[in-house]
Amino acid sequence: MKLTRKKIEEAEYIAVSSQDKRYKIRNPFSEDLKINGKKTEIKIFDDENGFTYILYKRKKYLAEILERSQNKYTVLINGVSYVFTIETPISYKRKKYLDKTKSKSTHEMVQAPMPGKIVDILVDAGTDVKEGEALLILEAMKMQNEISSPVTGKVTNIVVRKNDVVNKEDVLVELEKK
Amino acid sequence: MMKIKSILIANRGEIAIRISQTAKKMGIKTYGIKTSKEPNAFYLKHLDGVIDFCDNLDDIPEFLDVERIVNIAKDYKIDAIHPGYGFLAESPYFAQRCDEEGIIFIGPSAEAIYKMGNKTIAKQIAKKHKVPLLEGSQGNLKNPEEAHLIADKIGYPVILKAAAGGGGRGMRIIEKASQIEKNFKLATTEAEKAFNDPSVFIEKYVSNPRHIEFQIIGDKKGNFIHLGERECSVQRKHQKLLEESPSPALDETLREKMGAAAVRIAKATKYYSAGTVEFLLDDSKNFYFMEMNTRIQVEHPVTEMVTGLDLLELQIQIAEGKPLSIKQKDVKLNGWAIEYRINAEDVQGGFSPYLGIIEKLQYPRSKNIRIDSGISESSVVTPYYDSMLAKLIVHGETREKAISNSVNALNKFWIQGIKTTIPFCKAVLSNKKFKDGDFNTSFIEKEMDKLFYQGNDDEMLAAYLATFDFAAALETDKTTLIDFEKGKNISPWVLNKRLRSL
Repeated sequence: MKLTRKKIEEAEYIAVSSQDKRYKIRNPFSEDLKINGKKTEIKIFDDENGFTYILYKRKKYLAEILERSQNKYTVLINGVSYVFTIETPISYKRKKYLDKTKSKSTHEMVQAPMPGKIVDILVDAGTDVKEGEALLILEAMKMQNEISSPVTGKVTNIVVRKNDVVNKEDVLVELEKK
Repeated sequence: MMKIKSILIANRGEIAIRISQTAKKMGIKTYGIKTSKEPNAFYLKHLDGVIDFCDNLDDIPEFLDVERIVNIAKDYKIDAIHPGYGFLAESPYFAQRCDEEGIIFIGPSAEAIYKMGNKTIAKQIAKKHKVPLLEGSQGNLKNPEEAHLIADKIGYPVILKAAAGGGGRGMRIIEKASQIEKNFKLATTEAEKAFNDPSVFIEKYVSNPRHIEFQIIGDKKGNFIHLGERECSVQRKHQKLLEESPSPALDETLREKMGAAAVRIAKATKYYSAGTVEFLLDDSKNFYFMEMNTRIQVEHPVTEMVTGLDLLELQIQIAEGKPLSIKQKDVKLNGWAIEYRINAEDVQGGFSPYLGIIEKLQYPRSKNIRIDSGISESSVVTPYYDSMLAKLIVHGETREKAISNSVNALNKFWIQGIKTTIPFCKAVLSNKKFKDGDFNTSFIEKEMDKLFYQGNDDEMLAAYLATFDFAAALETDKTTLIDFEKGKNISPWVLNKRLRSL
């Protein structure tokens, strides 16, 4: 299918932030760009050194797409990161429907906040834990870091073993929220 | 006296480059060590000779391999070794091995490193020379029960510290008796891991003190001076993030008093080379000796900027046996300098290390800016070493001016490809308490409601950039098949330019 200029320029998207803040963006390529219904003038440039920056209200913002996978983006603006999923009106409707029907899960996973080595495990499967209670000790960059429970509940599974080397975001412990 | 003609730099990153710059200025040939962990590192390009340790297969990391480093220096007939900071910088054994093999160790004597490196001995020396100390255990603790006894006597909160420690490792704050058992275990394990020495001691914990340190320097002829203080209170989990000189908390009288105390400690250990005496300063401006660091420190450039001295040059001259060329009265603090540590860390993700590749790099430029950097474009941030990439040091005639110069500099310090602590530094500079000079070690925890600087429109612009790219990619898929077939990769911005011209 060959797209006409009209079709591209009339597109509408919804950017949903990780905190569930929504930006409705109409006509992202045209002079008639509207963000949340407001006419907005934003320009994106590449400078001679290859940096991307945004010009908005006569101010320069260093801009970078750090990660992207399908419609999920991690964007840096002046070094601060923002996570967005970009939806079209149709996919957005579908997402809202799915969110509504999804049952509230009580399953919690504790992930490694940084790469490191498990030097001690302080709980067993079946242990009742309180929010903030230490679960295990992760050594990273020679520091002993206590990894504590994000919820009050019961430990259902310990995924790692002592002396395991883990990557960032590896699941360490699974819990059942009370 | 012996003129040093060649130096082996037993370190990496920005400090290896920093040492090589002074060496070059002094006409000294520099050698460095290449490791398989970062064989294309930026520091290697600053050396006259690169020695390949890439074949290292044993458990000892390259920069900690005392025998190999000493032997290589002998093989290459290198006159002296500079250890930088970290690694072997505070190993008395390393300094001693250099001595035994007739290699000049650029730093203090093995004896001074040993004495001051052991906090228990250091405190005994401080006490003997009437330098104020916090109440606590006289020596190392034998068991948690002993910790209980002392804590009950001096009152909670108390702090457990590794005798061989530094950099916040092996430190545990204890609020009540029930926490002793667990923390004693954690502190000793951490101390054992980090310093090969599980000994810990206990002392009264001063809540929210300032961390003030004095740069001292001594020669082998028995001359000692101090070069003023550095304010290092902006810390997170005992890790310094920015430092300044002078400190907004000190006046001339207090500076003289603390400086004299620092010099007394240096004299007591016959200390030569550059060293740092750390103090805690409480609300009522009482100061207490903490420890001495027997190395050149990360934050030495702020002292250099306000004194106009080259500390590395002084270290090398002293190692050669030259007497100090300056006296205490010659030391003047001129203006204000602030150093920002630019680390590869995800501030929003709890300052966790951020690994990746430096895709683009652009430094601010100005006569009041100095950048000590260990990276260049295409540098890889590896998990093997600490996360510090570079240091930005900014000078101003006054503290206010140094802060406004810093804002400009940080806004022009651009890195692409990884997350860094730059947004954190900007957030500190926008904080009123920081601007007023009214802060202590609890500053980050208590005074900063946001750990990164964010403008009002930033999130909206982020949403737009992501949407723009998503939409452009969507359209690229559909409309530019032909271009892809030709093997051309079209960036969304190019597409945008084309769409505009349609």
